Amino acid sequence: MPDADVTVFDKTGTMDHYRVSVVSDVFQNKNRLDRQRLVYTALSEPMRDGRIHALEIQSQTFEEAGVRTLP
Amino acid sequence: MTVEEEIKNEIASHKVLIYGKGTKTAPMCGFTVETIAFFNRYGRPFEVIDVLNNMEKRAALSKMVDWPTLPKVFIGGQFYGDTDILDEMARNNEIEPLLQKVFLENPA
Repeated sequence: MPDADVTVFDKTGTMDHYRVSVVSDVFQNKNRLDRQRLVYTALSEPMRDGRIHALEIQSQTFEEAGVRTLP
Repeated sequence: MTVEEEIKNEIASHKVLIYGKGTKTAPMCGFTVETIAFFNRYGRPFEVIDVLNNMEKRAALSKMVDWPTLPKVFIGGQFYGDTDILDEMARNNEIEPLLQKVFLENPA
């Protein structure tokens, strides 16, 4: 997701429960499940080796995030 | 019976089904607790299947729905992800009509 604007929150201070807010136009016209699948795929490595134990994902397009509207 | 068939049978025989860590009375993971609480609010029967120690089943499930984490929620045989998805659906008032449809209730 080259254009992704990612903000990461450490939910519990234990550095493995994260809330991730990802803004990218790759989510355009994708339902919630597919959006989350994209983020999971991008983070599959750290999730597999345990650096990420729990992940809460917010996924928006730039338009939904009110950053800019598509031409 | 293969683990995939076992899963398919389970999904088909429960209108609301949660695969999670621990059981309904002894959940072992915060997200499973959250999901149970979520469905308790809607008052319909639901089932929790503990796959905490069943790695083979967890792998089969993850492959079937292309979703790496637990809990996994199925409503009316359809996969709905986890509470991230369900909370957003609840905010858009999509859960109640879905449950009404699945439990064949006529809308209020």
